[in-house]
Amino acid sequence: MAPISAEELTKLALASTLKPCCQAATDSVGAPEDPLVALVGPPNTGKSTLFNALTGAKVTMGNWPGTTVEVSRGVWKSSSVSATCADGECDCAHCEQPLEISVVDLPGTYSLDPNSPDEALTRELLLDKPLAERPDLSVVTCDASRLTGCLYLVAQLREQGLPMVVALTMVDVARNRGIEVDATSLAKQIGCPVVLVDPRRRNGLAALAATVRTALGRPAPAARRVPVDADDLDLEDDRFSWISEAVEAANGASMRPGPTRSDKVDRWVTAPFFGPVIFLAVMWLVFQLTTAVAAPLQDLLGGLVSGPITAGATAGLGLIGLGGSWVEGLIVNGLIAGVGMLLTFVPLMALMFVLLAVLEDSGYLARAAVVTDRLMRSIGLPGRAFLPLIVGYGCNVPAISATRILPNAKQRILTALLVPFTSCTARLTVFVMMGSVFFGPYAGTAVFAMYVISILIIIVVGLGLRATFWRDEPIEPLVIDLPAYHLPTLRLTASVAWVRLKGFLRTASGIIVVAVCGVWLLQAIPAQPGGSFGAVPVADSVYAAGARAVAPVFAPAGFGSWESTSTLAVGFVAKEAVISSWAQTYAVEQPADGAAPGSLGASVWTSFNQSSGGHPIAAALAFMVFLMAYTPCVATLAAQWREIGPRWTLFGVGMQLTLAWTLAVAIFQIGRLLL
Amino acid sequence: MSASRLGPVRAVLDQIGAGTPTLAEIARNTGLDESLVRAAVDHLIRTGRIDSNRLPIGCPPGGCGGCAVASDCGVPSSRPTLVTLSLSR
Repeated sequence: MAPISAEELTKLALASTLKPCCQAATDSVGAPEDPLVALVGPPNTGKSTLFNALTGAKVTMGNWPGTTVEVSRGVWKSSSVSATCADGECDCAHCEQPLEISVVDLPGTYSLDPNSPDEALTRELLLDKPLAERPDLSVVTCDASRLTGCLYLVAQLREQGLPMVVALTMVDVARNRGIEVDATSLAKQIGCPVVLVDPRRRNGLAALAATVRTALGRPAPAARRVPVDADDLDLEDDRFSWISEAVEAANGASMRPGPTRSDKVDRWVTAPFFGPVIFLAVMWLVFQLTTAVAAPLQDLLGGLVSGPITAGATAGLGLIGLGGSWVEGLIVNGLIAGVGMLLTFVPLMALMFVLLAVLEDSGYLARAAVVTDRLMRSIGLPGRAFLPLIVGYGCNVPAISATRILPNAKQRILTALLVPFTSCTARLTVFVMMGSVFFGPYAGTAVFAMYVISILIIIVVGLGLRATFWRDEPIEPLVIDLPAYHLPTLRLTASVAWVRLKGFLRTASGIIVVAVCGVWLLQAIPAQPGGSFGAVPVADSVYAAGARAVAPVFAPAGFGSWESTSTLAVGFVAKEAVISSWAQTYAVEQPADGAAPGSLGASVWTSFNQSSGGHPIAAALAFMVFLMAYTPCVATLAAQWREIGPRWTLFGVGMQLTLAWTLAVAIFQIGRLLL
Repeated sequence: MSASRLGPVRAVLDQIGAGTPTLAEIARNTGLDESLVRAAVDHLIRTGRIDSNRLPIGCPPGGCGGCAVASDCGVPSSRPTLVTLSLSR
């Protein structure tokens, strides 16, 4: 789009003004000798820039008497003006005479119904003062690129029949956006002169001077008619209808910009049916890409940790005389196995964070929020609850805190009870590992299925809670103003992904080191008298004994082995430590089938195969769903305790455990018939 | 819904009350130009008839102590954020 030239702007400006001089000579009421002109207009419409352009350095600033509102005053020295009329260049006395115009730059104001002291001052000066104390004329600045938003003030001023000239600024910005403003049509429609100006380049100022001088010598235009006996809303409707007609006349249907690319895309991605379908497809793609691309790297790192690093550490400890001691157990089977397993997830988490950052930076996640919001409301849940729930897919702890945005306590409690069902990134590591072991090339789809199940659980539990505890809770309507799409930047995407990855690693590694030490300690203590500390087989430790006592509860779900049960207990503390505790268990205990220590997948498969009676996939699915639905971690519990109190927190824990167990049993019992 | 039956401001309020989720949809449903819908919404916010809240997609303003990504809390200004609009009580 070519920028608007100074000559073009001047030509447009002159064409759009009322014939400035010759008519003034015929219907003049006599211009005041020392006229006062007020510059008014909404904020950021170039009003102060215009004021500076008109008055130059001759400016005084100070509070308006009796107020704290700061206004600028200056003198606009208008020399002879170049005006055109029907007969061509005008050279009458009116045009030849220089004129000093006092100008006052009033604070930015959207309307004459004041919401601030600034707006109150504008109203007082223009309407409430005695006629003799009011400005002789108002120059109203309007941004041509957002004309609709600026004309409300013009509509109100026109209702008062005040003398005014509209100075249309930012015409070049409007043109760059494909908006052409026909100033002549606009002037005709709104009933006052319109001048195109570009105060930054001092274009259009002569035309403005001519128009103002002409208008000063004329009677004020007739006031715009408004409905009689109208309430506030009627008046506002009338003004916006008037604005709509004015903008239509100024822009013209042919010049009105069509739907943007964002609008066209949004029609699909936020549509009631296609929106959720596209959202699910995008998320499936994210998980598929993550698992497919990161899996080979993960295997490579896994091999490095369980191979050379473990062997090197064992050899090193042997050299210093600690081979076979509890120190070797703690370092090799505990810290290296546990923390090393976390490190294998670095490529996966990095890729996941990059993809999510791209979605967020592009503006797509905001569209996903609309889709989720629509879904929430369609089933009678508070629309605004989608925000904490989206946060929950990153981490449940801040999601619980995010429930504070909800307007009332009942909605906060309801949402805080639903947040733990959102599958956080800590659970993602377990899903990916389980997916790789049990579903091979379909690992991404298996992980994606967990997210879909998570959404379904939220819907069903939400509906259940509403139907019981919050039956009469009204649903508050909510509109989302979507940001425009934009191309994700490499720098921002990399920065966001890195910050999140770093945060995840820092927190997860801290949790894992503590959990590894705790698990190692429990695995080192013999359950039966006679064993010695650090030298007992893990199957005979208090760790295994405790898990074995609980394991029968999970037998109907197909994962009633102490190995699986113990890791669920660790997962109750933090999901980040689930895999490390598994790694510790299987690194300490030589797998029965002779698989090498560190072949975690094979060991887990064997364990599930045995505990499920030969239906490992059904048991794995049941385990994954249980892991997704039961209590996320103690940090989430602490957050719930703080936000919704102990009673609801304990209710939530009971509900999560009951639901998780019921679903796991149902999935396994049905699954073992099919898989 | 047609803007010819209701004035622009009432039509927008009506749509917000009915739960239309985006301004673009309000414009489509009412037949009003989107710029007019935006202007009407801005006006309704200024007059206190609807509330506007800027909400981060990623993190809430506090309570992130136990979160793995706590250091990323808040929303950098260059990233898209949601603005939610709701009827004032």
